[in-house]
Amino acid sequence: MIETVTNKLNPQVLPHLQVWGWEVPVYLFCGGLAAGLLVISSGILITRNEANFSYTVRLSALLSPIVLSVGMFALFLDLAYKTHVWRFYTAFVPTSPMSWGSWLLMLFYPLAILQAVLLYEKQLESVGALKGLIGFFRPWKKLLAFVNVHIGSGIGVYTGILLATFYARPLWSNSVLGLVFLLSGMSSATALMLWMAPEEKKRFYSLVDMYLLSLEAFAITVLIIGGVTGSENSHLAMMNLITGNFAPWFWTVSLLGGILVPLSLETLETMGKVRFSPITPALVLVGGLSLRFILVFAGQANPTFF
Amino acid sequence: MSQFFDRREFIKIGSGFLASSALVSAFPYLPFSDEAQAMVADKIVPSLCELCFWRCGIDGHVKDGKLFKISGHADHPLSNGKLCPRGTGGHGLLYDPNRLRTPLIRETHQGVQRFREASWDEAITLIAKRFDQIRDNGDLDKVAYFSHGFGASFFKRLFKAYGINLASAPSYAQCRGARDEAFTLTFGHAVGSPEGLDIANSKYLVLIGSHLGENMHNTAVQDFSNAVSAGCKVIAVDPRFSVAASKAERWLPIKPGTDLALLRSWIHVLLAEELYNRKFVQENCLGLEELRAGVADATPEATYAITGIDPETILAVARDMGRFGSSALVHPGRHVAWYGDDTQRERAIAILNALLGNYRQPGGLINQTQMYGVPNPYHFASSTRASTPFQSRFPLASEAPSNEVVDQTLAGNIKSWFIYGTNLVQTLGDQESTKKALGMLDFVVAIDVLPMEITGYADVVLPEVTYLERYDDLDDRVYRRPYVAIRQPVVAPLSHLDAKPGHEIAALLAEKWGLAGLFPPIEEYLDNRLRAAGTSLKVLKDKGVLVKEDPTLFRQPGEPLHFDTPSGKIELSSARLKSLGFDSTPQYQRQPENPAGYFRLIYGRVPMHTFGRTSNNRFLGELMPENELWINRITALDLGLKDNESVFLINQEGKKSISKIRLKLTERIRPDVVYMAHGFGQNDPRLEFAYRRGASANEMITHLSVDPIMGGTGFKNNFVTFSR
Amino acid sequence: MSRERKYAMIIDTRRCVGCSACVFACKTENQVPEGFCRDWVVSITKGSFPNLSLVNRSERCQHCEDAPCVSNCPTEASHYQGDGTVQIDRDLCTGCKACMAACPYDARYIHPDGFADKCSFCSHRIKAGLATTACTQVCPTSALKLVDLNSNDGQAEALLRGREVKIDKPHAGTKPKLLWLL
Repeated sequence: MIETVTNKLNPQVLPHLQVWGWEVPVYLFCGGLAAGLLVISSGILITRNEANFSYTVRLSALLSPIVLSVGMFALFLDLAYKTHVWRFYTAFVPTSPMSWGSWLLMLFYPLAILQAVLLYEKQLESVGALKGLIGFFRPWKKLLAFVNVHIGSGIGVYTGILLATFYARPLWSNSVLGLVFLLSGMSSATALMLWMAPEEKKRFYSLVDMYLLSLEAFAITVLIIGGVTGSENSHLAMMNLITGNFAPWFWTVSLLGGILVPLSLETLETMGKVRFSPITPALVLVGGLSLRFILVFAGQANPTFF
Repeated sequence: MSQFFDRREFIKIGSGFLASSALVSAFPYLPFSDEAQAMVADKIVPSLCELCFWRCGIDGHVKDGKLFKISGHADHPLSNGKLCPRGTGGHGLLYDPNRLRTPLIRETHQGVQRFREASWDEAITLIAKRFDQIRDNGDLDKVAYFSHGFGASFFKRLFKAYGINLASAPSYAQCRGARDEAFTLTFGHAVGSPEGLDIANSKYLVLIGSHLGENMHNTAVQDFSNAVSAGCKVIAVDPRFSVAASKAERWLPIKPGTDLALLRSWIHVLLAEELYNRKFVQENCLGLEELRAGVADATPEATYAITGIDPETILAVARDMGRFGSSALVHPGRHVAWYGDDTQRERAIAILNALLGNYRQPGGLINQTQMYGVPNPYHFASSTRASTPFQSRFPLASEAPSNEVVDQTLAGNIKSWFIYGTNLVQTLGDQESTKKALGMLDFVVAIDVLPMEITGYADVVLPEVTYLERYDDLDDRVYRRPYVAIRQPVVAPLSHLDAKPGHEIAALLAEKWGLAGLFPPIEEYLDNRLRAAGTSLKVLKDKGVLVKEDPTLFRQPGEPLHFDTPSGKIELSSARLKSLGFDSTPQYQRQPENPAGYFRLIYGRVPMHTFGRTSNNRFLGELMPENELWINRITALDLGLKDNESVFLINQEGKKSISKIRLKLTERIRPDVVYMAHGFGQNDPRLEFAYRRGASANEMITHLSVDPIMGGTGFKNNFVTFSR
Repeated sequence: MSRERKYAMIIDTRRCVGCSACVFACKTENQVPEGFCRDWVVSITKGSFPNLSLVNRSERCQHCEDAPCVSNCPTEASHYQGDGTVQIDRDLCTGCKACMAACPYDARYIHPDGFADKCSFCSHRIKAGLATTACTQVCPTSALKLVDLNSNDGQAEALLRGREVKIDKPHAGTKPKLLWLL
C-alpha cells in the first residue's frame, strides 16, 4: 500500500492539470480548420487555373482568416493576463512552439488576407486603396498560393506540436500529434468546402476528403500505437484515453462518427449510391472539434508523469 | 432541552455582535508591485507567541500598521529563530472577523435570553457589584476562577488580593497534572513546562504516546529533530504510526490502556538482568527491593499477553535502555490524563529514568531551577477576607482539578465562575456535566478574544484584545537557559473593536474593588520590574528577550544530589503513596475493553492547530479546515466504510456527534482504535469558520477515568462507532 | 561579481516532520493568495500495518537547470536569473499557462492577478543579502537549507556527506535543484 497525502492547495495543478478550458480546444480546432482551408484552397489555386473563379475556393480563402480570428479570440479569452497579450510580440523564443505560432500567425494573416483580396478583386477593385495593391500582387498569385500552402501547413502542424512539446503531459508528448492535427484540420477544411461546394463540384472535394480522412485515421492509429507501446507514462496516458472516462467519446464521436462513418458515406456518395448530404461534412467537423476537446482534456486529466 | 437550561440558555445567535467582516478582511493581503515580489516590513516588533502555551519569541513584521507575517525570534531560547506553523498564523486571530467587539451583558427580552452590547463601565460595574455582594455574604469560597494562558496572571493577582482562592487550570487535571505529581513523588520536583528533558543530547529516546512532530512545541521538536539527526535511536510506543514513529528504530503499536504493563516489564527486565545504573541507584534511590518485588510478575512473557508487544521486543528495548544508560531517556509525555492510572504510569516512567541514572546527565532528565531574576517590587497584602483554600478530595492534588470544581458546582457548593481564556465546554470532558453546572451558577463572567462556546453561557462577556495587541507580564520562567522576555503590542489594538488588554480589565475591576495601586500603568510596572533587574523596558522592547546560561544544569562529577522528597532520595517506592492507601510501586490494572462494534477513541494534535483555540483561524485553517477520523483501512473496508466518507460518531453511552467527520482509511493505525485531532467540531455559530467543521473529540468523551491520587480526568476510556 | 552563484535547496527528510511551517511562512512572506501555495508537503506512507515507512517531503519549484517552463515560455517571462534560480517577470507574462503545462513538478499556479507564479527561492531575500528563504528560516527542524552549490563555504558538502541524495523525476532531464537527503 502507498498512501500519499499532500497539503498542496493549487487547484490548477492538483489533482491534475486544469488550466485549459473550452477556449484552447476551440482555438486548436479553428486554427487547424483555418490552416486547412488555406492549404486546400491554395493547393487548388496552384494546380487548377479555373479555381480563380471557383466560388468554393474563393469563399474558403476568405473564411480562412475569419475562422482563425474566431480561434484567436477564444485563445485571447483563455489568457489570464489579457492586457499583456502584446508581449507575444516583444520576444521570439525558438524553443517555444507558442512563440513560433505567434509569429507564424503574423505571416498567416497578411498572406491569407492578401490571397482572399486577390480572389475577390472584381468586388474590391472599386475600393481605391486596394486597387494598387491588387495590381501589384496580381502577377504573384501562384507564388503567393505556393507560400500559403507552407504557412498553412505550418500552422496546422503547430496546433499539434504546441501540445506535443509538453514532456510533462505524457498523452500530449507524442510526435505524431502534429501530423494528426494537421490532417484533421485539412480533412475538416475539405469537409467544409464539400459542404459549400455546388453539386457538380462535390465529388472532387469528397474524394479529397476521403483521402485525408484515411490518412488521418492512419495517423491516429500510429498515435495510439506509439502511446500504448511507449514508456510506462505514455502507456498509462494512452490507455486512459482509449479505455478511460474519455474513451466512449473518443471512440464514438471522434473516430466512428468523425472519421469512419463520414468516410463510408463519402464513398457511397462519390460512387453515386446515395445523394450528397450535408450530414457527412457536419460529422467530420464535429469529429474534428471533439478530437481537440478530448485530447486537450484527457491530456490534462492524466496525472503528471512520474 | 434539559431543565437546567431554563435559567441560563446558551445564547447562540449573535451575528449583530460580530465584528463586521467588511471592516477588516480575514487576511491582510495587501497590494504589491511587480518589482517587489514580496512584502518588506517597515517595522519588526519582537514579542511572545500565545497560539499555544509554549510562548516562543516571535518577530511581528508590520507594514503600514498591518501585521502580515510572524517569524521566530532569533535570540529567544524557545524559538531560536524558528517557529511552528501555528505561530506563523497569529494574524489569522488578530484579523479574525468573528472577534468579540464589545462587552456583552445577558438580558431577558420578551422571555428570550440574549446578549446586549454594553459599555465597559457598565460591564465592569456590574461584575464588581455582583462579586461585592458575594463577598459581603461571606461566599467568596463559592467562586471559582478558571484560566488558561499567560494573560491570566493579572487576574490571579487580582483575585488573590480580592480574596478568591479557588483557581483552576483545566490543564492540571486533564493534561500535565499526573506527570508532575508523579515526578514530584519520585524526584521531588515536577517536569515543568517547557519540560526539563535534554532530548537534543539523548542517544536513546523512548516515547510513550508522545507524538512529537505532530505535537509541535517548537523547542521540543527542534531538540527531537536534532537528536534524530545525530543518530538517536527512537522507540515509539503508540497505537498509531505517528510521525515520531516513522523516525523510530522500533514502533511498538501497543494495545491501548496497557502502557503501564509495558513500563513495569521494562523495570522488571532492568532489575532482573541488573542493567540499571547500580552506582547511581545505590547512592540516590530508596526502595529498590520493594520495587523489585512490586514488578516481579511483569515478565516480558506475561506482558506480551497484556500489551501485544512480543517478549523479544520488550527484552531488546530494555537491554538497549540499559546499554545506553544515562544517555537514554523515557519521555514523560505532556497530556497524560488517559486511563485514570496516570500518576502510577508516570511514576513508572520516573522510576525507569531513575534506574537509568540519567538525572542531570546529557540526554537525560534535567532539573530547571534557574530564573533570569526579575524581582517584583509590587508586593500586596492578601485580602483579610480571603476565602478558605479549596480542599480537593484527592489527596495529592496540588491544584484544583477542574472537573472537581464542576462536581462541587453541581453539589451547590460553588455559585460563580470567572473564566479567562478557556472554552470549558469543549475543554473539560463530560460536556453535559459542565453545561448542567453552568446552568446552576448564579453568575458567570467570561473573558475571551473570540466568541468561544463558553461565552454563550456567561452573564457578562468581556472582549480581550489578542496577544498581538497588548502587553502582558514579563515571562521569566525557569528554563535551562534562563531568560526574561516581553510581550508587547505588535500592532495597535484594532480600532473598530472595543476590546481591552487583560491588565486593563484587571485594573478596572481592581479600581472598583478599592484595590487601586494593584495595577500601576503597565509600562511603568514593566519598566520598574526590569530596572530592578538592571535593565529597562526600552531595552527589552527593542531586544525582545535577555538570556543567561545556567552552568549548574548538568551534574558535575561527584556532585552530591539532594532530592526534595520526604526522604531526600529518589523514591522508587513511595512511602507517601503507601500511607495514603495507594500502591507504593506502580501496579497495572486492566482497562475496559472495546464494547463489540466500538473502537477506542484516541486523539491528538496536529502541527497547524492548538486544539479549539485555533480552529476558527482562517489562515491556519487553509491547510487544515477540519479534522478527519483515522481508521484502519482493512477494518473500515470490512465494515463497508469508504475513504473520505463523512460519518457521525456515536459513543458507548449513545452520545451522537453534532457534526460529521471525514474518514481517513489508513494502514497507520491499529484495527481496534480510531484517532482524530482534538479541537474541531466547534458548536458556536458565532465562530463562523470553525462552526461544525469536523467533529469534536471532546463531545465523545463522556466518561472520565478519574485518577484517585490527584483527580486527573482520563479521557481515553471512551469508545465510538459510526452512523451515516 | 566574480563568481556566479548557483542556489539549490537541500531537504533532510530525516529531520522533516511534515509540519508545514514552510508553507505558512511562504504564504505570508510572499503574500501568496488564499487558495494557492508556492510550497507544500507530501507525506508518503508505504507498507501495511504494522510494517510501515513514512517520508515527508517539503516541495516547491525545483529551479531546474534545464527548465521546460523557460523553454516553453513564449515571452521570456520565465527566465534563468543567473544565480541558479528560475524567475518569472510579471511584466512579460501573458498568463498563457504553457509553463504550467510544461512543468513536470506542477510547481506553478496562475495568480488571481493573471500572471504565472511559483517559488522564487525568495529572490528578494537573496538580493537583500539574507542567507535564508522564508521557509528555510522558519523550519523548526532545520530540515530545509538554501545553499550555493558554487560556493566554497563547504555548507553543501557538509550536508550531503555520507547521505543518500534523491532528486525528483531525474528522467525528466530537467536537472532539478531540490536535493532530498534520505
